[in-house]
Amino acid sequence: MRRLEYIGTTAAQGFWRNPVMSIASTFLATDRGLQAAVGVLESKVELALFLEDNARVSDVLALRARIEGDPAVSRVDYVTKDQAMARLVDIAARRPDIQIVDTSSNPLQDSLEIKLAHAQDASRVAASLREEIGKGVVSDVVDNPQVVDKLLTITRVLSIGGLAVLAMMLIVALFVIVNTIRIAVHARRDEIEIMKLVGATDWFVRWPFILEGMLVGALGALAATVVVLIAAGPVMGAMVNFIEILPLSFGTTFVWQLVASVFALALAVGGGGAMLSVRAHLAK
Amino acid sequence: MVAVLGRGNELITLDDVSKRYPNGTDALRDVDLEIDSGDFVFLVGSSGAGKSSLIRLLIREELPSSGRVWVDGQDVVRMRHSAVPKLRRRVGVVFQDFKLLPRKTVAENVGFALLVTGHSGEEVREETERALALVGLSQRREHFPDQLSGGEKQRTAIARALVSRPKILIADEPTGNLDPVTSWEIIKLLVRVNELGTTMLMATHNAEIVNALRRRVVHLDHGTVVRDEREGQYAA
Repeated sequence: MRRLEYIGTTAAQGFWRNPVMSIASTFLATDRGLQAAVGVLESKVELALFLEDNARVSDVLALRARIEGDPAVSRVDYVTKDQAMARLVDIAARRPDIQIVDTSSNPLQDSLEIKLAHAQDASRVAASLREEIGKGVVSDVVDNPQVVDKLLTITRVLSIGGLAVLAMMLIVALFVIVNTIRIAVHARRDEIEIMKLVGATDWFVRWPFILEGMLVGALGALAATVVVLIAAGPVMGAMVNFIEILPLSFGTTFVWQLVASVFALALAVGGGGAMLSVRAHLAK
Repeated sequence: MVAVLGRGNELITLDDVSKRYPNGTDALRDVDLEIDSGDFVFLVGSSGAGKSSLIRLLIREELPSSGRVWVDGQDVVRMRHSAVPKLRRRVGVVFQDFKLLPRKTVAENVGFALLVTGHSGEEVREETERALALVGLSQRREHFPDQLSGGEKQRTAIARALVSRPKILIADEPTGNLDPVTSWEIIKLLVRVNELGTTMLMATHNAEIVNALRRRVVHLDHGTVVRDEREGQYAA
């Protein structure tokens, strides 16, 4: 009966613990994804002018000459859609955390990449270029610095705020595990007393509780991993729609790193919490 | 290993031992005591005389405030914390309240002492059977503590204390919860254990038993040894 009560208590507290680990790993995954996206965008230009697929070369060259005439512009490069794809593939090859999901088609467009002498001119130049949209040459103008700034801000907030939340969550997880194991220790205090009396070593007494703490932590980590892996696809999809970058996914390396990190964290918190719980009973 | 003071046959030596608790209570004062291997010693005295404190020092549940304690050649005061389990395997202890695990059978309670000190399953089974046979409980091996009489519970506790073949058996008021007839059964068992070579130290209030057996009696009063007689009497 006591065993059933104990299992029930453990299960109930597992519900508390799992969201804690889920939030921790979601934070890790989201932060990593955003940093990857920022990396990709940072490698792009300050302004990108996307060209209509059927734009005439002479019109493009004329436009390019006009843009180069603007004193705020330091350089203009013509990038074909194939070059853009090759560049992205190259970035993905150097970043194990990024994978290009689908290379069978190339949704990119030919573009003019415009480097500005002063970043603060970006919005003015972009506004004048947007007037060209719909005239047969320019299909879109992307003012990337704003997106990059936005992402950088989000990442910074996530990194600092997220670390604080993560630290709080770890303390909560530790607190919950310490109390769970303390209940288990209390339920078995007579057994522990007799074990000590007949000459069991401290580690012999300690190990079952440490393993129990680690098991409880691992269950939380398992639930967290499942939640993150299920949620990763839709979340990345939403990010792609929101930020308007190419479809990216977490690379296998990153997934394993995430799973290993979460499990290592959970086992350390579970085992460490259990050691704290048993310590008072082993002092004599 | 620290050399034991004295003649060389002592299993327990207390040298000028005092114990003061943090609340200011002096449980033991300047106690000198030597117990030889094979002795049967009664530790007598009223409640609060220091009997239980002395026992706790011997199994290092407490440390003395001053003085030295040797058990089986080992300096109990200066031994490392990690050496305490080995000391306790050589000192069996029996308590007034039996301290049996209610969810374990008699055999499991007895074998528990070997199981938690790393013995193999076969060793646990063999030694448990031997200890149960010694205390006369082989037929009750599958019973749970709440199915046993008080005397049987205490015999189970004695079997658990003896299963690891300790050199010393310490009994703290082992008959305190038992009727007179059962008490005598337990005492006869302890005498037999002593005759088989285990040194006995028994704390008790029971003057009738002490006076009938005429063994060595160490009388504690307010933490001090006031009498130590080879074939002593206890005038409670």
